[in-house]
Amino acid sequence: MGFDLTPVLPELFLLVAGLVLLVVGVLTREGEAARVVATLSVLALVIGSIIIAASDKSPQLALGGHYVADGFSAFLKILLFVGAALAILLAQGFLHDRRIARFEYSLLVLFSTLGMSMMVSANSFLALYMGLELSALPLYVLAAFDRDNLRSTEAGLKYFVLGALASGMLLYGCSLVYGFAGTLSFDVLADAFGAATAERPPALLPLGAVVGLVFIIAGLAFKLAAVPFHMWTPDVYEGSPTPVTAFLATASKVAAAGLAVRVLMHPFGEWTAQWQQVVVLISIASMLLGAFAAIGQANIKRLMAYSGIGHIGYALVGVAAGSERGVYAVLVYLAIYLVMTLGTFGCILLMRRQGQYVEQISDLAGLSRQRPMAAAALGVFMFSQAGIPPLAGFFGKLLVFLAAVEAGLTWLAVLGVLSSCVAAFYYLRIVKVMYFDEAAEPFDTAVHPAVTGITAITALATLFFIVWPGPLLRAAGAAAAALVR
Amino acid sequence: MLHTVLVFAPLVGAIVAGLFGRAIGDRGAQIVTCGLMVLSALLATVGLFANVGEPARTVPLLEWIYVGSFQADWALRVDPLSSVMMFVVSFCSCWIHIYSVGYMAHDKSIPRFMAYLSLFTFFMLMLVTSDNLLQLFFGWEGVGLASYLLIGFWYTRPSACAAAIKAFIVNRVGDFGFVLGIAGVFLVFDTIQYDTIFRGAAGMANSTIVLFGTSWDTLDVLAFLLFIGAMGKSAQLGLHTWLPDAMEGPTPVSALIHAATMVTAGVFLVARMSPLFEYAPDALAFVTFIGASTALFAATIGLTQFDIKRVIAYSTCSQLGYMFFACGVGAYAAGIFHLYTHAFFKALLFLGAGSVIHAMSDEQDMRRMGGIWRLVPVTYAMMWIGTLALIGFPGFAGFFSKDAVLEAAWASHNAFAHYAFWLGVTAAVLTAFYSGRLIWMTFHGEPRADHETMHHVHESPPVMTIPLGVLAVGAIFAGWLGLGMLDAEGQFWAGSIFTGPDNHVMHDMHEVPFWVKAAPFVAMALGLGLSYVFYILAPDLPARVASAFRPLHSLFYNKWYFDELYDLVFVRGAKALGVAFWRGGDQGVIDRFGPDGVALSTLAAARRAVRIQTGYVYHYAFAMLIGVAALVTWYLVFVRG
Amino acid sequence: MIAGLAFYLFAGILIASAVMVVTSRNPVHGVLFLILAFFNAAALFLIAGAEFLAMILVIVYVGAVAVLFLFVVMMLDIDFARLREGFRRNAPLGLVIGGILLIELLLVAAAWRFAPEAAALRLQPVQPDGVTNTEALGRVLYTDYVYAFQIAGLILLVAMIGAIVLTLRDRPTAKRQDVAAQIARSGSVVTRRVPIGAGLAETGIARPPLPEAPKPKQVEHQGGGHH
Repeated sequence: MGFDLTPVLPELFLLVAGLVLLVVGVLTREGEAARVVATLSVLALVIGSIIIAASDKSPQLALGGHYVADGFSAFLKILLFVGAALAILLAQGFLHDRRIARFEYSLLVLFSTLGMSMMVSANSFLALYMGLELSALPLYVLAAFDRDNLRSTEAGLKYFVLGALASGMLLYGCSLVYGFAGTLSFDVLADAFGAATAERPPALLPLGAVVGLVFIIAGLAFKLAAVPFHMWTPDVYEGSPTPVTAFLATASKVAAAGLAVRVLMHPFGEWTAQWQQVVVLISIASMLLGAFAAIGQANIKRLMAYSGIGHIGYALVGVAAGSERGVYAVLVYLAIYLVMTLGTFGCILLMRRQGQYVEQISDLAGLSRQRPMAAAALGVFMFSQAGIPPLAGFFGKLLVFLAAVEAGLTWLAVLGVLSSCVAAFYYLRIVKVMYFDEAAEPFDTAVHPAVTGITAITALATLFFIVWPGPLLRAAGAAAAALVR
Repeated sequence: MLHTVLVFAPLVGAIVAGLFGRAIGDRGAQIVTCGLMVLSALLATVGLFANVGEPARTVPLLEWIYVGSFQADWALRVDPLSSVMMFVVSFCSCWIHIYSVGYMAHDKSIPRFMAYLSLFTFFMLMLVTSDNLLQLFFGWEGVGLASYLLIGFWYTRPSACAAAIKAFIVNRVGDFGFVLGIAGVFLVFDTIQYDTIFRGAAGMANSTIVLFGTSWDTLDVLAFLLFIGAMGKSAQLGLHTWLPDAMEGPTPVSALIHAATMVTAGVFLVARMSPLFEYAPDALAFVTFIGASTALFAATIGLTQFDIKRVIAYSTCSQLGYMFFACGVGAYAAGIFHLYTHAFFKALLFLGAGSVIHAMSDEQDMRRMGGIWRLVPVTYAMMWIGTLALIGFPGFAGFFSKDAVLEAAWASHNAFAHYAFWLGVTAAVLTAFYSGRLIWMTFHGEPRADHETMHHVHESPPVMTIPLGVLAVGAIFAGWLGLGMLDAEGQFWAGSIFTGPDNHVMHDMHEVPFWVKAAPFVAMALGLGLSYVFYILAPDLPARVASAFRPLHSLFYNKWYFDELYDLVFVRGAKALGVAFWRGGDQGVIDRFGPDGVALSTLAAARRAVRIQTGYVYHYAFAMLIGVAALVTWYLVFVRG
Repeated sequence: MIAGLAFYLFAGILIASAVMVVTSRNPVHGVLFLILAFFNAAALFLIAGAEFLAMILVIVYVGAVAVLFLFVVMMLDIDFARLREGFRRNAPLGLVIGGILLIELLLVAAAWRFAPEAAALRLQPVQPDGVTNTEALGRVLYTDYVYAFQIAGLILLVAMIGAIVLTLRDRPTAKRQDVAAQIARSGSVVTRRVPIGAGLAETGIARPPLPEAPKPKQVEHQGGGHH
């Protein structure tokens, strides 16, 4: 077996870029380092995406079988890289205004993205865990990046402590599975479990391995912020600097969801009946909590935390379907979710009064009169997240529910529709506040062009998704087909 | 490529004028939209000559929706039928754009107007070039939207807003049928692509589906539902009430949307779906019946109206009836031919009326016009050309097409064919009468306007009269040029209009007795002569006739009381029902136990959900451990049982 | 037999000391019990034939990590009594949950089965050809597991960056060497002829000229305000 590194090229490139940028950041003059490194990081992520887009999509193993590059990982990696690049761009103005503009921000995002990229390419539990830790550690630091702000440091610490607990659960699950099968490789596990299913009725499958799987799901659910492993989200989302929250809410979740899909569909693909109920439970709990708890929120970042919990619940509906259609629906859902969420955070970053970033929902009052375009964009995102046709968010939900119905989980789809009705309440409340409430103070007119640009582009993409959904759907279809062989 | 540019040029114009209107100014918006429309019209002309007699082809644009077996792509279907439509739409729209530069010169929001016009044109082009029913529906609703925006263009006038809303709502009724039709087509054929539907239509003939416990002929049901949509859009009997009110919009809008293009979409739909309709004899009979009835009915109303634009609007309604019964009797080509000539002369009449209104300082009531023909000679001449074309004077465009429609009606074996023929001939008399009446009342006789207005009467600027001239040329020669459409072998259409194996109407219509051929001419002469007697020779005659036939006159004058009936039955009925449900059902029962109760418990649930969030890290960790314990327990108890 | 006895002995002490870590009142005792737990774990490794891991555990965890803990616990004045209150309040529920989990895991252990091919797939800690287990570990670490090994390195790098980001502060009062400023300073580098054999007493210490003191600001008085 040769030592072919071609499939790993995107990660290698990002790694080298990260190390070079570290040196660049240290050697550049202090005032400029943040800007230079941010620009180069975005460039690196863009080049990384291009490398992936141009690469061979057929499944290729590398690095002793711990790493696999296929259509599935390529799709998710491009999403991750785009999300990370946008998170870096969104952040520059914010960090500058808060006087915490340091080049390490971009680097940490870059390394975290590298970890996420390894997560979605993981082909063994070892690679899964290492990638997860590499992605998580920079996130802990990023959450506390505004280190003189008590809330920010608290967020970082909470995230770290609970993250460690979740890692522990994940590792415990991995060790149970290893104890049963004697291997960590997904491919070998798939064979072993397939054989086990073939010779025994499901009721007699090894208990230990399945309980291990439950623990693994719990560990991943923490990263996904799915109920009941979601408790950290509102506090961390609220405390972290807003661009970091955007990154946490998008790339981190997408990576975790991709990983969860791979783990459930590849090694445990034959055991759908065994894990389906657990996923369904988590999904229902997330949908309901996301819908109900968000109603009581006054802070828009906390609201986005619950909204994100709800969205993960919907995505898990597609996972629970356990079919190629389900995976396809999840991928489409994640892509749309990523775009909508980044745009929403762009809108949040547009709201400033006298140089201060405001994040209470009541602060949105009067936005429609003073900043009609920003209000319109936020309105689009809210309607889309509520799942109102013909916006992009509707199609994500539609596909997920269709997949559930096809898999015989009609009641789950019905529950999803009902909870999205409840959720529509708080999305529409934001629209109401923006358009019908009287403003107290004027908003600042000076804006950062990158934030405006990202908000505009994501809003247009959300609005006009219906006109040209083909490329995304086709790419997601190919990715799903690559995973479910 | 040519067709892509043709279709999307107006969209570009609309976006530029609509979004950047403030930046490029009024003049800029006019130049951009008109320039792009001229480009589009030129390409459409080229396309027409290139595509006549060619088989259909598809220009793919973008992938669109793939859900299960449901597939729809953005694509342009190019065949003789769509080419004729594209030509009509682009050509008329182009000249109406130019006319608007003059007509709307004093308006405050010129870029918005030009953007709406261009947007409308884009949607209309999408509609006629659609390659599947969903895209057709996209264009269908798009033109509806543009029509709504343009009728309500002067949104500060309550009457304009009311008219816009009325147009929108009445069209919804038709769209309901249309959407059901599309859904039905998908149900039956498992596709909404034209090609596949058309191939499968013959196989579906005589099959039945069960609805409400009775079995129906499948294709009859589908064709009927689609025709409901066409009735709404094309203002046919029953769903026609919005069209006269739509005259609240600026006159170029009436010319473009409510005469030349959008309202003919229903006729286009029937012709486009001819493979379906050909196997649905009952639906065709219904089409014929509705078309013929509308032709006469609208003409009777036209006799009595005084608003110059409303007269022309009812005339449009009536002419659309002709087109429909032409399609209904199987002569789709004659219907489209009439559509094509009608676009020229009706746009000409509307623009001419606009020119008159412009000259009379925004006066629309014919009772306060008269005696101005010397003052506006160009407009006068143009109105005569339009009128002669409309009433089917030999040599003018309408002569060819109306004769063809009536001959086809005589020659057909449709159950309602002769009904259609006789109603059509009667309507022709009435058409000639009210058209003559319009000319006499507007231009001849004693001036009835006040001195101030008469003093200001002036000919319109060239930017308005030149489009009139161009359309007048069309109104004269379009008939000659388009005669090929009536070719009995159907070579012109190259299969884009389908006629069934038993349908020989295009042949038979050339072999009708002489008196059938002569009837439209006699009818026209009779009507025109009568109007001359009534309004020039004996001006007191109309009043005497009106009082002699008081009930009939008031029936016609009040538009057969359709608005009143609808108001009584639907508007008030729905409102009463709504109030009953609101007071009794909603507030009394549902709100008390439903939303208010649910909302309260939702809020309570929300508060509880928030209270879990204590902020202590060990509570969170604890929750995670409880969660994992619960999941393991659930698994052990329920999955492994 | 003896190995079996030793295993249960060490395992028992390990569990007991782990319990003590959590329950002991004095935090210093807690850390000391932790060290005891590490030693016992190392002993278990030894019994399993993994002497390298045992040594690493002792060196890294006992030698570095636990000592660091001890420092932290002794340096920070944490009111453990108050922290303990929360623990006591939640203890009953915690015990219930822990108990349920324990029972379930015992169930799992009771019904434990290996996959038929598990034994063949597992890496063998003791190589048949007498290779030491340090060498065996090294062989797989740099071949089959190079990926994980490299990521581990990367994680450490990120941890370092993170630590710097969160703690490094530029204090404006702190004096630091600025090489560029030193070089650029006018007259900092001069060549002088120094008499041979002369001591410092004769030549004196050469100092670069001091920059001129900034002139006091000229206050404009034209405005004629109050003085």
